[in-house]
Amino acid sequence: MDIFLSRLFSGMTAGSIYVLIALALVVVFRSSSTINFAQGEFALFTTYVAWWLTERGLNIWVAIPPIIVLGFVMGALAERFLIRPVRKRDETAILIVALGLFTGLNGLDGWIWGSDEKVFPAMFPSGEDDYVSVLGARLHYDSILVWIFAAAVVIGLTVLFKRTSLGLEMRAVATNPESAALCGIKVGRILTISWGLSAAIGSLAGVMLVPTIPPGQLNLASMFQVLIFASAAALLGGLDSVKGAVVGGMVMGIGLAMINGYATFIGGSFSLTFALILIVVVLVVRPTGLYGTRRLERV
Amino acid sequence: MTDAPLLEVRGLRAGYGQVNVLHDIDLSVGTGEVVVVLGANGAGKSTLMSAMSGLIPHSGEILVDGSPVGHPRPDQMLARGISLVPQGRGTLTALDVTDNLRVGGTGLGSKKDVDEEIDRWFGIFPRLAERADQIAGTLSGGEQQMLAIARALMSRPRLLLCDEISLGLAPLIVQELFGTLRRVSAESGTALLLVEQNAELALDIASRVYLLEVGAVASSGTADSFRENNNIRQAYLGY
Ligand SMILES: Nc1ncnc2c1ncn2[C@@H]1O[C@H](COP(=O)(O)OP(=O)(O)OP(=O)(O)O)[C@@H](O)[C@H]1O
Ligand SMILES: [Mg+2]
Repeated sequence: MDIFLSRLFSGMTAGSIYVLIALALVVVFRSSSTINFAQGEFALFTTYVAWWLTERGLNIWVAIPPIIVLGFVMGALAERFLIRPVRKRDETAILIVALGLFTGLNGLDGWIWGSDEKVFPAMFPSGEDDYVSVLGARLHYDSILVWIFAAAVVIGLTVLFKRTSLGLEMRAVATNPESAALCGIKVGRILTISWGLSAAIGSLAGVMLVPTIPPGQLNLASMFQVLIFASAAALLGGLDSVKGAVVGGMVMGIGLAMINGYATFIGGSFSLTFALILIVVVLVVRPTGLYGTRRLERV
Repeated sequence: MTDAPLLEVRGLRAGYGQVNVLHDIDLSVGTGEVVVVLGANGAGKSTLMSAMSGLIPHSGEILVDGSPVGHPRPDQMLARGISLVPQGRGTLTALDVTDNLRVGGTGLGSKKDVDEEIDRWFGIFPRLAERADQIAGTLSGGEQQMLAIARALMSRPRLLLCDEISLGLAPLIVQELFGTLRRVSAESGTALLLVEQNAELALDIASRVYLLEVGAVASSGTADSFRENNNIRQAYLGY
Protein backbone atom coordinates (compact mmCIF):
# COMPACT_ATOMS: atom_id res chain seq x y z
CA MET A 1 0.00 0.00 0.00
CA ASP A 2 2.71 2.50 0.96
CA ILE A 3 4.64 1.76 -2.21
CA PHE A 4 1.50 2.23 -4.27
CA LEU A 5 0.81 5.52 -2.52
CA SER A 6 4.27 6.90 -2.99
CA ARG A 7 4.08 6.01 -6.68
CA LEU A 8 0.70 7.71 -6.84
CA PHE A 9 2.13 10.82 -5.20
CA SER A 10 5.10 11.07 -7.51
CA GLY A 11 2.79 10.44 -10.48
CA MET A 12 0.54 13.26 -9.34
CA THR A 13 3.50 15.59 -9.00
CA ALA A 14 4.78 14.84 -12.50
CA GLY A 15 1.16 14.99 -13.67
CA SER A 16 0.75 18.48 -12.20
CA ILE A 17 3.64 19.70 -14.32
CA TYR A 18 2.14 18.06 -17.43
CA VAL A 19 -1.16 19.73 -16.55
CA LEU A 20 0.52 23.13 -16.44
CA ILE A 21 2.33 22.74 -19.76
CA ALA A 22 -0.76 21.19 -21.34
CA LEU A 23 -2.77 24.20 -20.15
CA ALA A 24 -0.23 26.50 -21.76
CA LEU A 25 -0.73 24.61 -25.04
CA VAL A 26 -4.51 24.73 -24.63
CA VAL A 27 -4.59 28.51 -24.05
CA VAL A 28 -2.80 29.11 -27.36
CA PHE A 29 -4.68 26.43 -29.29
CA ARG A 30 -8.09 27.73 -28.18
CA SER A 31 -7.48 31.20 -29.51
CA SER A 32 -5.41 30.48 -32.60
CA SER A 33 -5.77 26.76 -33.46
CA THR A 34 -1.99 26.50 -33.40
CA ILE A 35 0.14 24.16 -31.32
CA ASN A 36 3.03 26.19 -30.03
CA PHE A 37 6.00 23.84 -30.25
CA ALA A 38 8.26 26.52 -28.85
CA GLN A 39 6.23 26.44 -25.60
CA GLY A 40 8.79 24.36 -23.71
CA GLU A 41 11.67 26.53 -24.90
CA PHE A 42 10.02 29.73 -23.66
CA ALA A 43 9.74 28.02 -20.30
CA LEU A 44 13.34 26.76 -20.45
CA PHE A 45 14.62 30.27 -21.13
CA THR A 46 12.75 31.82 -18.20
CA THR A 47 13.86 28.95 -15.97
CA TYR A 48 17.47 29.72 -16.84
CA VAL A 49 16.79 33.35 -15.99
CA ALA A 50 15.35 32.22 -12.64
CA TRP A 51 18.48 30.15 -11.98
CA TRP A 52 20.65 33.11 -12.94
CA LEU A 53 18.73 35.38 -10.55
CA THR A 54 19.17 32.94 -7.68
CA GLU A 55 22.89 32.74 -8.47
CA ARG A 56 22.91 36.51 -7.98
CA GLY A 57 21.59 35.90 -4.47
CA LEU A 58 17.88 36.30 -5.06
CA ASN A 59 15.56 33.94 -3.19
CA ILE A 60 13.83 31.58 -5.65
CA TRP A 61 10.42 32.77 -4.43
CA VAL A 62 11.35 36.37 -5.20
CA ALA A 63 12.58 35.31 -8.64
CA ILE A 64 9.25 33.77 -9.64
CA PRO A 65 7.11 36.89 -10.22
CA PRO A 66 9.61 38.60 -12.53
CA ILE A 67 10.13 35.49 -14.64
CA ILE A 68 6.37 35.01 -14.98
CA VAL A 69 6.18 38.58 -16.28
CA LEU A 70 9.16 37.90 -18.54
CA GLY A 71 7.39 34.79 -19.88
CA PHE A 72 4.27 36.82 -20.61
CA VAL A 73 6.25 39.49 -22.45
CA MET A 74 8.18 36.92 -24.50
CA GLY A 75 5.03 35.07 -25.52
CA ALA A 76 3.22 38.29 -26.40
CA LEU A 77 6.13 39.65 -28.43
CA ALA A 78 6.57 36.35 -30.27
CA GLU A 79 2.91 36.39 -31.31
CA ARG A 80 2.90 40.04 -32.30
CA PHE A 81 6.14 40.21 -34.25
CA LEU A 82 6.89 36.66 -35.40
CA ILE A 83 3.63 34.72 -35.66
CA ARG A 84 1.19 37.41 -36.76
CA PRO A 85 3.14 38.59 -39.81
CA VAL A 86 3.05 35.05 -41.25
CA ARG A 87 -0.36 33.98 -39.93
CA LYS A 88 -2.21 35.19 -43.02
CA ARG A 89 0.26 33.52 -45.35
CA ASP A 90 -0.07 29.84 -44.58
CA GLU A 91 0.22 27.19 -41.92
CA THR A 92 3.64 25.90 -42.90
CA ALA A 93 4.98 29.39 -42.30
CA ILE A 94 3.71 29.32 -38.71
CA LEU A 95 5.26 25.90 -38.21
CA ILE A 96 8.61 27.13 -39.50
CA VAL A 97 8.51 30.20 -37.26
CA ALA A 98 7.70 28.02 -34.23
CA LEU A 99 10.50 25.62 -35.15
CA GLY A 100 12.86 28.57 -35.53
CA LEU A 101 11.85 29.83 -32.09
CA PHE A 102 12.39 26.35 -30.68
CA THR A 103 15.95 25.92 -31.93
CA GLY A 104 16.78 29.62 -31.66
CA LEU A 105 15.84 29.86 -27.98
CA ASN A 106 17.62 26.64 -27.13
CA GLY A 107 20.72 27.86 -28.90
CA LEU A 108 20.47 31.17 -27.08
CA ASP A 109 20.25 29.39 -23.71
CA GLY A 110 23.38 27.42 -24.52
CA TRP A 111 25.21 30.48 -25.77
CA ILE A 112 24.43 32.51 -22.65
CA TRP A 113 24.60 29.88 -19.97
CA GLY A 114 26.63 27.02 -21.43
CA SER A 115 25.64 23.39 -21.75
CA ASP A 116 26.74 22.20 -18.30
CA GLU A 117 24.14 21.21 -15.71
CA LYS A 118 22.99 23.86 -13.27
CA VAL A 119 22.07 23.00 -9.70
CA PHE A 120 18.62 24.43 -9.31
CA PRO A 121 17.49 25.64 -5.89
CA ALA A 122 14.52 23.89 -4.31
CA MET A 123 11.52 26.02 -3.51
CA PHE A 124 10.75 24.08 -0.38
CA PRO A 125 12.93 22.02 1.90
CA SER A 126 13.18 18.75 0.03
CA GLY A 127 15.64 16.81 2.13
CA GLU A 128 15.21 13.26 3.34
CA ASP A 129 13.16 14.27 6.36
CA ASP A 130 10.91 16.89 4.82
CA TYR A 131 7.75 14.90 4.37
CA VAL A 132 4.52 14.00 6.00
CA SER A 133 3.63 10.39 6.38
CA VAL A 134 0.42 9.26 4.73
CA LEU A 135 -0.47 5.64 5.50
CA GLY A 136 3.21 4.86 5.61
CA ALA A 137 4.04 6.59 2.36
CA ARG A 138 6.19 9.68 2.23
CA LEU A 139 4.54 12.78 0.87
CA HIS A 140 7.21 15.40 0.37
CA TYR A 141 6.47 19.07 0.96
CA ASP A 142 7.68 20.08 -2.46
CA SER A 143 5.18 17.69 -4.05
CA ILE A 144 2.35 19.32 -2.14
CA LEU A 145 3.60 22.69 -3.33
CA VAL A 146 3.51 21.63 -6.99
CA TRP A 147 -0.05 20.35 -6.56
CA ILE A 148 -1.13 23.61 -4.98
CA PHE A 149 0.37 25.71 -7.76
CA ALA A 150 -1.19 23.55 -10.47
CA ALA A 151 -4.58 23.70 -8.73
CA ALA A 152 -4.28 27.48 -8.40
CA VAL A 153 -3.58 27.88 -12.12
CA VAL A 154 -6.51 25.61 -13.03
CA ILE A 155 -8.84 27.59 -10.78
CA GLY A 156 -7.44 30.89 -12.03
CA LEU A 157 -7.97 29.94 -15.68
CA THR A 158 -11.46 28.62 -15.00
CA VAL A 159 -12.42 31.90 -13.33
CA LEU A 160 -10.83 33.85 -16.18
CA PHE A 161 -12.76 31.99 -18.89
CA LYS A 162 -16.08 31.74 -17.06
CA ARG A 163 -16.30 34.98 -15.12
CA THR A 164 -14.39 37.80 -16.76
CA SER A 165 -15.01 39.85 -19.87
CA LEU A 166 -11.47 39.16 -21.10
CA GLY A 167 -12.21 35.44 -20.75
CA LEU A 168 -15.48 35.88 -22.65
CA GLU A 169 -13.63 37.65 -25.45
CA MET A 170 -11.06 34.83 -25.52
CA ARG A 171 -13.82 32.24 -25.77
CA ALA A 172 -15.47 34.26 -28.56
CA VAL A 173 -12.24 34.38 -30.55
CA ALA A 174 -11.76 30.66 -29.93
CA THR A 175 -15.23 29.94 -31.35
CA ASN A 176 -15.00 32.09 -34.45
CA PRO A 177 -12.45 34.87 -34.94
CA GLU A 178 -14.40 36.48 -37.76
CA SER A 179 -17.64 36.73 -35.80
CA ALA A 180 -15.70 37.92 -32.78
CA ALA A 181 -14.17 40.71 -34.87
CA LEU A 182 -17.63 41.70 -36.10
CA CYS A 183 -18.69 41.99 -32.45
CA GLY A 184 -16.03 44.63 -31.93
CA ILE A 185 -13.41 42.42 -30.33
CA LYS A 186 -9.80 43.34 -31.15
CA VAL A 187 -8.86 39.83 -32.21
CA GLY A 188 -5.15 40.58 -32.59
CA ARG A 189 -4.98 41.86 -29.02
CA ILE A 190 -6.68 38.71 -27.73
CA LEU A 191 -4.18 36.52 -29.58
CA THR A 192 -1.26 38.48 -28.16
CA ILE A 193 -2.65 38.17 -24.63
CA SER A 194 -3.28 34.43 -25.11
CA TRP A 195 0.30 33.77 -26.18
CA GLY A 196 1.57 35.85 -23.29
CA LEU A 197 -0.64 34.08 -20.78
CA SER A 198 0.40 30.72 -22.15
CA ALA A 199 4.11 31.49 -21.85
CA ALA A 200 3.55 32.87 -18.34
CA ILE A 201 2.00 29.55 -17.27
CA GLY A 202 4.95 27.78 -18.88
CA SER A 203 7.39 29.92 -16.88
CA LEU A 204 5.77 28.86 -13.64
CA ALA A 205 5.84 25.22 -14.73
CA GLY A 206 9.55 25.52 -15.56
CA VAL A 207 10.71 26.49 -12.08
CA MET A 208 8.48 23.86 -10.48
CA LEU A 209 9.62 21.20 -12.89
CA VAL A 210 13.38 21.18 -12.48
CA PRO A 211 13.48 20.22 -8.78
CA THR A 212 11.07 17.34 -9.43
CA ILE A 213 13.08 15.62 -12.15
CA PRO A 214 16.05 13.82 -10.64
CA PRO A 215 18.72 14.93 -10.02
CA GLY A 216 17.11 18.35 -9.80
CA GLN A 217 19.46 19.96 -12.28
CA LEU A 218 18.79 22.28 -15.17
CA ASN A 219 20.17 21.58 -18.61
CA LEU A 220 19.39 22.35 -22.22
CA ALA A 221 17.27 19.21 -22.63
CA SER A 222 15.20 19.68 -19.45
CA MET A 223 12.04 20.64 -21.28
CA PHE A 224 12.18 18.27 -24.16
CA GLN A 225 10.62 15.13 -22.66
CA VAL A 226 8.18 17.12 -20.58
CA LEU A 227 6.86 18.90 -23.66
CA ILE A 228 6.21 15.56 -25.36
CA PHE A 229 4.43 14.17 -22.30
CA ALA A 230 2.42 17.37 -21.95
CA SER A 231 1.52 17.40 -25.66
CA ALA A 232 0.29 13.82 -25.34
CA ALA A 233 -1.70 14.90 -22.27
CA ALA A 234 -3.24 17.86 -24.08
CA LEU A 235 -4.14 15.74 -27.12
CA LEU A 236 -5.64 13.06 -24.90
CA GLY A 237 -7.79 15.57 -23.00
CA GLY A 238 -8.72 17.66 -26.02
CA LEU A 239 -6.66 20.60 -27.22
CA ASP A 240 -9.26 23.23 -26.45
CA SER A 241 -10.38 22.03 -23.04
CA VAL A 242 -9.08 23.11 -19.62
CA LYS A 243 -10.73 20.09 -18.04
CA GLY A 244 -9.12 17.90 -20.70
CA ALA A 245 -5.65 19.25 -19.88
CA VAL A 246 -6.19 18.41 -16.21
CA VAL A 247 -7.44 14.88 -16.84
CA GLY A 248 -4.90 14.24 -19.60
CA GLY A 249 -1.98 15.53 -17.52
CA MET A 250 -2.94 13.43 -14.50
CA VAL A 251 -3.52 10.29 -16.57
CA MET A 252 -0.10 10.78 -18.13
CA GLY A 253 1.68 11.45 -14.84
CA ILE A 254 0.07 8.70 -12.78
CA GLY A 255 -0.01 6.24 -15.67
CA LEU A 256 3.72 6.59 -16.33
CA ALA A 257 4.55 6.36 -12.62
CA MET A 258 2.63 3.10 -12.34
CA ILE A 259 4.07 1.60 -15.52
CA ASN A 260 7.61 2.51 -14.51
CA GLY A 261 6.99 1.29 -10.97
CA TYR A 262 5.22 -2.00 -11.55
CA ALA A 263 6.37 -2.98 -15.01
CA THR A 264 10.07 -2.52 -14.45
CA PHE A 265 10.87 -5.12 -17.08
CA ILE A 266 9.75 -2.65 -19.71
CA GLY A 267 12.50 -0.21 -18.82
CA GLY A 268 12.49 3.51 -18.17
CA SER A 269 13.02 4.67 -21.74
CA PHE A 270 9.69 3.14 -22.60
CA SER A 271 7.94 6.26 -21.21
CA LEU A 272 8.71 8.38 -24.23
CA THR A 273 7.64 5.65 -26.63
CA PHE A 274 4.45 5.26 -24.62
CA ALA A 275 3.72 8.99 -24.96
CA LEU A 276 4.36 8.96 -28.70
CA ILE A 277 2.20 5.87 -29.19
CA LEU A 278 -0.55 7.54 -27.18
CA ILE A 279 -0.36 10.64 -29.43
CA VAL A 280 -0.77 8.50 -32.55
CA VAL A 281 -3.60 6.45 -31.04
CA VAL A 282 -5.52 9.54 -29.95
CA LEU A 283 -5.10 11.17 -33.35
CA VAL A 284 -6.49 8.07 -35.01
CA VAL A 285 -9.23 6.98 -32.58
CA ARG A 286 -10.52 10.24 -31.19
CA PRO A 287 -9.02 13.32 -32.84
CA THR A 288 -10.90 15.73 -30.56
CA GLY A 289 -9.57 14.10 -27.39
CA LEU A 290 -11.71 13.21 -24.38
CA TYR A 291 -13.27 16.62 -23.77
CA GLY A 292 -12.28 18.68 -26.77
CA THR A 293 -14.51 19.97 -29.52
CA ARG A 294 -11.96 20.73 -32.19
CA ARG A 295 -9.57 18.40 -33.88
CA LEU A 296 -5.99 19.12 -34.74
CA GLU A 297 -5.92 20.26 -38.33
CA ARG A 298 -2.41 21.53 -38.48
CA VAL A 299 0.69 20.80 -36.48
CA MET B 1 -21.57 68.79 -44.52
CA THR B 2 -24.52 67.73 -42.38
CA ASP B 3 -26.13 66.06 -45.38
CA ALA B 4 -23.24 63.68 -46.08
CA PRO B 5 -24.48 60.10 -46.26
CA LEU B 6 -23.91 57.90 -43.25
CA LEU B 7 -21.97 55.40 -45.36
CA GLU B 8 -20.64 55.90 -48.85
CA VAL B 9 -18.29 53.87 -51.02
CA ARG B 10 -16.59 55.26 -54.13
CA GLY B 11 -14.81 53.16 -56.72
CA LEU B 12 -14.69 50.22 -54.33
CA ARG B 13 -12.72 47.17 -55.45
CA ALA B 14 -12.24 44.02 -53.44
CA GLY B 15 -11.65 40.32 -53.95
CA TYR B 16 -9.79 37.28 -52.73
CA GLY B 17 -6.07 36.88 -53.36
CA GLN B 18 -5.35 37.68 -57.00
CA VAL B 19 -9.02 37.48 -58.00
CA ASN B 20 -10.90 40.77 -58.10
CA VAL B 21 -14.63 40.38 -57.45
CA LEU B 22 -15.93 43.93 -57.10
CA HIS B 23 -15.31 46.54 -59.81
CA ASP B 24 -15.65 50.22 -58.96
CA ILE B 25 -18.75 50.08 -56.80
CA ASP B 26 -20.41 53.40 -55.92
CA LEU B 27 -23.08 53.18 -53.25
CA SER B 28 -24.43 55.19 -50.35
CA VAL B 29 -26.83 54.85 -47.43
CA GLY B 30 -28.27 57.89 -45.69
CA THR B 31 -29.10 58.28 -42.02
CA GLY B 32 -32.10 56.13 -41.12
CA GLU B 33 -32.51 55.04 -44.74
CA VAL B 34 -33.49 51.50 -45.77
CA VAL B 35 -31.64 50.30 -48.87
CA VAL B 36 -31.60 46.90 -50.55
CA VAL B 37 -28.93 45.26 -52.69
CA LEU B 38 -30.21 42.69 -55.17
CA GLY B 39 -28.15 40.37 -57.31
CA ALA B 40 -27.80 36.79 -58.50
CA ASN B 41 -25.72 34.15 -56.73
CA GLY B 42 -22.06 35.03 -57.02
CA ALA B 43 -22.71 38.66 -58.02
CA GLY B 44 -20.49 39.82 -55.17
CA LYS B 45 -23.06 40.92 -52.58
CA SER B 46 -21.37 39.21 -49.63
CA THR B 47 -17.98 40.41 -50.80
CA LEU B 48 -19.35 43.95 -50.77
CA MET B 49 -20.63 43.52 -47.21
CA SER B 50 -17.31 42.02 -46.07
CA ALA B 51 -15.31 44.85 -47.60
CA MET B 52 -17.57 47.53 -46.11
CA SER B 53 -17.28 46.04 -42.63
CA GLY B 54 -13.51 45.67 -42.73
CA LEU B 55 -13.34 41.88 -42.98
CA ILE B 56 -11.44 41.84 -46.27
CA PRO B 57 -9.07 44.38 -47.82
CA HIS B 58 -10.31 46.84 -50.43
CA SER B 59 -9.13 49.62 -52.64
CA GLY B 60 -11.16 52.73 -53.39
CA GLU B 61 -12.80 54.88 -50.75
CA ILE B 62 -15.09 54.15 -47.83
CA LEU B 63 -16.54 57.24 -46.19
CA VAL B 64 -18.50 57.49 -42.96
CA ASP B 65 -20.33 60.79 -42.38
CA GLY B 66 -18.41 62.16 -45.36
CA SER B 67 -14.93 61.37 -44.01
CA PRO B 68 -12.70 58.69 -45.54
CA VAL B 69 -12.00 55.93 -43.06
CA GLY B 70 -8.98 54.34 -44.75
CA HIS B 71 -8.70 50.62 -44.14
CA PRO B 72 -10.39 49.99 -40.82
CA ARG B 73 -10.65 46.68 -38.95
CA PRO B 74 -14.12 45.32 -38.18
CA ASP B 75 -14.01 46.61 -34.59
CA GLN B 76 -13.22 50.08 -35.94
CA MET B 77 -16.15 50.01 -38.38
CA LEU B 78 -18.34 48.90 -35.49
CA ALA B 79 -17.04 51.79 -33.38
CA ARG B 80 -18.22 54.10 -36.21
CA GLY B 81 -21.68 52.62 -35.90
CA ILE B 82 -21.69 50.09 -38.73
CA SER B 83 -22.57 46.51 -37.83
CA LEU B 84 -22.90 43.39 -40.00
CA VAL B 85 -25.08 40.29 -39.78
CA PRO B 86 -22.96 38.05 -42.01
CA GLN B 87 -24.41 35.49 -44.41
CA GLY B 88 -24.77 32.14 -42.68
CA ARG B 89 -25.61 33.85 -39.38
CA GLY B 90 -22.21 34.18 -37.76
CA THR B 91 -23.34 33.42 -34.23
CA LEU B 92 -20.72 32.20 -31.79
CA THR B 93 -21.92 28.62 -31.82
CA ALA B 94 -20.01 27.39 -28.75
CA LEU B 95 -21.31 30.19 -26.52
CA ASP B 96 -24.75 30.41 -24.96
CA VAL B 97 -27.36 32.93 -26.05
CA THR B 98 -26.67 35.44 -23.28
CA ASP B 99 -22.91 35.33 -23.85
CA ASN B 100 -23.46 35.88 -27.58
CA LEU B 101 -25.38 39.05 -26.80
CA ARG B 102 -22.81 40.08 -24.19
CA VAL B 103 -20.03 39.74 -26.76
CA GLY B 104 -22.12 41.77 -29.19
CA GLY B 105 -22.07 44.57 -26.62
CA THR B 106 -18.26 44.60 -26.35
CA GLY B 107 -18.03 48.22 -27.44
CA LEU B 108 -20.68 49.51 -25.03
CA GLY B 109 -19.42 51.55 -22.13
CA SER B 110 -20.56 49.79 -18.99
CA LYS B 111 -21.86 46.43 -17.84
CA LYS B 112 -25.10 48.20 -16.98
CA ASP B 113 -25.53 49.29 -20.60
CA VAL B 114 -24.87 45.73 -21.74
CA ASP B 115 -27.43 44.27 -19.33
CA GLU B 116 -29.99 46.88 -20.34
CA GLU B 117 -29.46 46.15 -23.99
CA ILE B 118 -29.72 42.38 -23.41
CA ASP B 119 -33.04 42.89 -21.61
CA ARG B 120 -34.25 45.01 -24.51
CA TRP B 121 -33.50 42.26 -27.05
CA PHE B 122 -34.98 39.59 -24.83
CA GLY B 123 -38.13 41.74 -24.84
CA ILE B 124 -38.14 42.00 -28.62
CA PHE B 125 -37.30 38.30 -29.15
CA PRO B 126 -39.03 36.38 -26.32
CA ARG B 127 -37.90 33.12 -27.93
CA LEU B 128 -34.31 34.09 -27.20
CA ALA B 129 -35.18 34.99 -23.60
CA GLU B 130 -36.64 31.53 -23.08
CA ARG B 131 -33.36 30.07 -24.32
CA ALA B 132 -30.99 32.44 -22.52
CA ASP B 133 -28.66 29.64 -21.36
CA GLN B 134 -28.86 27.46 -24.46
CA ILE B 135 -25.71 26.98 -26.55
CA ALA B 136 -26.16 28.99 -29.76
CA GLY B 137 -25.13 26.10 -32.00
CA THR B 138 -28.13 24.08 -30.81
CA LEU B 139 -30.71 26.75 -31.68
CA SER B 140 -33.01 26.30 -34.67
CA GLY B 141 -32.14 28.18 -37.85
CA GLY B 142 -34.73 30.85 -37.18
CA GLU B 143 -33.66 31.30 -33.59
CA GLN B 144 -30.02 31.58 -34.65
CA GLN B 145 -30.93 34.26 -37.16
CA MET B 146 -32.80 36.20 -34.45
CA LEU B 147 -29.74 35.87 -32.25
CA ALA B 148 -27.42 37.03 -35.03
CA ILE B 149 -29.59 40.11 -35.61
CA ALA B 150 -29.92 40.90 -31.90
CA ARG B 151 -26.19 40.38 -31.45
CA ALA B 152 -25.40 42.77 -34.30
CA LEU B 153 -27.78 45.36 -32.84
CA MET B 154 -26.35 45.07 -29.29
CA SER B 155 -23.72 47.66 -30.16
CA ARG B 156 -26.50 50.21 -30.93
CA PRO B 157 -25.29 50.71 -34.53
CA ARG B 158 -26.46 53.55 -36.77
CA LEU B 159 -26.39 51.24 -39.78
CA LEU B 160 -27.10 47.53 -39.83
CA LEU B 161 -25.84 45.50 -42.79
CA CYS B 162 -27.87 42.30 -43.25
CA ASP B 163 -26.57 39.63 -45.62
CA GLU B 164 -29.47 37.39 -46.72
CA ILE B 165 -31.11 36.98 -43.36
CA SER B 166 -34.03 35.22 -45.03
CA LEU B 167 -31.89 32.39 -46.37
CA GLY B 168 -33.27 28.96 -45.50
CA LEU B 169 -36.01 30.23 -43.22
CA ALA B 170 -39.75 29.60 -43.38
CA PRO B 171 -41.72 32.49 -44.95
CA LEU B 172 -43.53 33.16 -41.68
CA ILE B 173 -40.28 33.56 -39.74
CA VAL B 174 -38.88 35.78 -42.48
CA GLN B 175 -41.90 38.07 -42.26
CA GLU B 176 -41.55 38.22 -38.51
CA LEU B 177 -37.85 39.14 -38.80
CA PHE B 178 -38.49 41.81 -41.41
CA GLY B 179 -41.32 43.22 -39.32
CA THR B 180 -39.01 43.46 -36.33
CA LEU B 181 -36.27 45.09 -38.38
CA ARG B 182 -38.68 47.64 -39.83
CA ARG B 183 -39.94 48.46 -36.35
CA VAL B 184 -36.46 48.77 -34.82
CA SER B 185 -35.35 50.92 -37.72
CA ALA B 186 -38.35 53.23 -37.39
CA GLU B 187 -38.10 53.49 -33.60
CA SER B 188 -34.39 54.09 -33.19
CA GLY B 189 -33.55 55.58 -36.58
CA THR B 190 -31.19 52.74 -37.49
CA ALA B 191 -30.42 52.65 -41.20
CA LEU B 192 -30.60 49.26 -42.94
CA LEU B 193 -28.67 47.90 -45.87
CA LEU B 194 -30.28 44.59 -46.83
CA VAL B 195 -28.81 42.04 -49.19
CA GLU B 196 -31.67 39.86 -50.36
CA GLN B 197 -32.71 37.16 -52.77
CA ASN B 198 -36.22 37.63 -51.46
CA ALA B 199 -36.69 40.78 -53.52
CA GLU B 200 -40.40 41.24 -52.99
CA LEU B 201 -40.17 41.45 -49.24
CA ALA B 202 -37.08 43.63 -49.36
CA LEU B 203 -38.63 46.07 -51.85
CA ASP B 204 -41.56 46.40 -49.45
CA ILE B 205 -39.50 47.96 -46.72
CA ALA B 206 -36.70 49.60 -48.73
CA SER B 207 -36.78 53.04 -50.27
CA ARG B 208 -33.84 52.56 -52.63
CA VAL B 209 -32.32 49.65 -54.53
CA TYR B 210 -28.94 48.70 -56.03
CA LEU B 211 -28.75 45.88 -58.53
CA LEU B 212 -25.41 44.07 -58.61
CA GLU B 213 -24.32 42.07 -61.67
CA VAL B 214 -20.94 40.34 -61.84
CA GLY B 215 -19.35 42.61 -59.31
CA ALA B 216 -20.61 45.93 -60.62
CA VAL B 217 -23.68 48.10 -60.02
CA ALA B 218 -25.90 47.37 -63.05
CA SER B 219 -28.59 49.82 -62.03
CA SER B 220 -29.94 51.69 -59.05
CA GLY B 221 -33.02 53.72 -58.20
CA THR B 222 -36.05 53.97 -55.96
CA ALA B 223 -37.87 50.85 -54.84
CA ASP B 224 -40.98 52.02 -56.69
CA SER B 225 -39.16 52.40 -59.98
CA PHE B 226 -37.76 48.90 -59.55
CA ARG B 227 -41.14 47.40 -58.85
CA GLU B 228 -42.48 48.99 -62.03
CA ASN B 229 -39.55 47.91 -64.19
CA ASN B 230 -40.70 44.87 -66.15
CA ASN B 231 -37.31 43.24 -66.71
CA ILE B 232 -36.39 43.40 -63.08
CA ARG B 233 -39.77 42.20 -62.00
CA GLN B 234 -39.42 39.13 -64.13
CA ALA B 235 -35.86 38.43 -63.05
CA TYR B 236 -36.24 39.01 -59.33
CA LEU B 237 -39.90 38.94 -58.43
CA GLY B 238 -40.92 36.20 -60.80
CA TYR B 239 -44.19 37.71 -62.11
N1 LIG C 1 -13.44 33.37 -49.50
C1 LIG C 1 -13.43 33.39 -50.83
N2 LIG C 1 -12.32 33.03 -51.52
C2 LIG C 1 -12.29 33.06 -52.87
N3 LIG C 1 -13.33 33.44 -53.62
C3 LIG C 1 -14.48 33.79 -53.00
C4 LIG C 1 -14.58 33.79 -51.59
N4 LIG C 1 -15.82 34.19 -51.25
C5 LIG C 1 -16.45 34.42 -52.41
N5 LIG C 1 -15.66 34.20 -53.46
C6 LIG C 1 -16.01 34.38 -54.88
O1 LIG C 1 -16.40 35.71 -55.08
C7 LIG C 1 -17.52 35.80 -55.95
C8 LIG C 1 -18.62 36.57 -55.26
O2 LIG C 1 -19.05 35.87 -54.12
P1 LIG C 1 -20.07 36.47 -53.09
O3 LIG C 1 -20.12 35.54 -51.93
O4 LIG C 1 -19.73 37.87 -52.82
O5 LIG C 1 -21.42 36.39 -53.92
P2 LIG C 1 -22.92 36.69 -53.44
O6 LIG C 1 -23.46 37.71 -54.36
O7 LIG C 1 -22.95 36.98 -52.01
O8 LIG C 1 -23.61 35.29 -53.74
P3 LIG C 1 -24.76 34.52 -52.93
O9 LIG C 1 -26.04 35.13 -53.32
O10 LIG C 1 -24.63 33.12 -53.43
O11 LIG C 1 -24.43 34.65 -51.48
C9 LIG C 1 -17.91 34.36 -56.29
O12 LIG C 1 -17.39 34.08 -57.55
C10 LIG C 1 -17.22 33.54 -55.23
O13 LIG C 1 -16.83 32.28 -55.73
MG1 LIG D 1 -23.69 36.08 -50.39
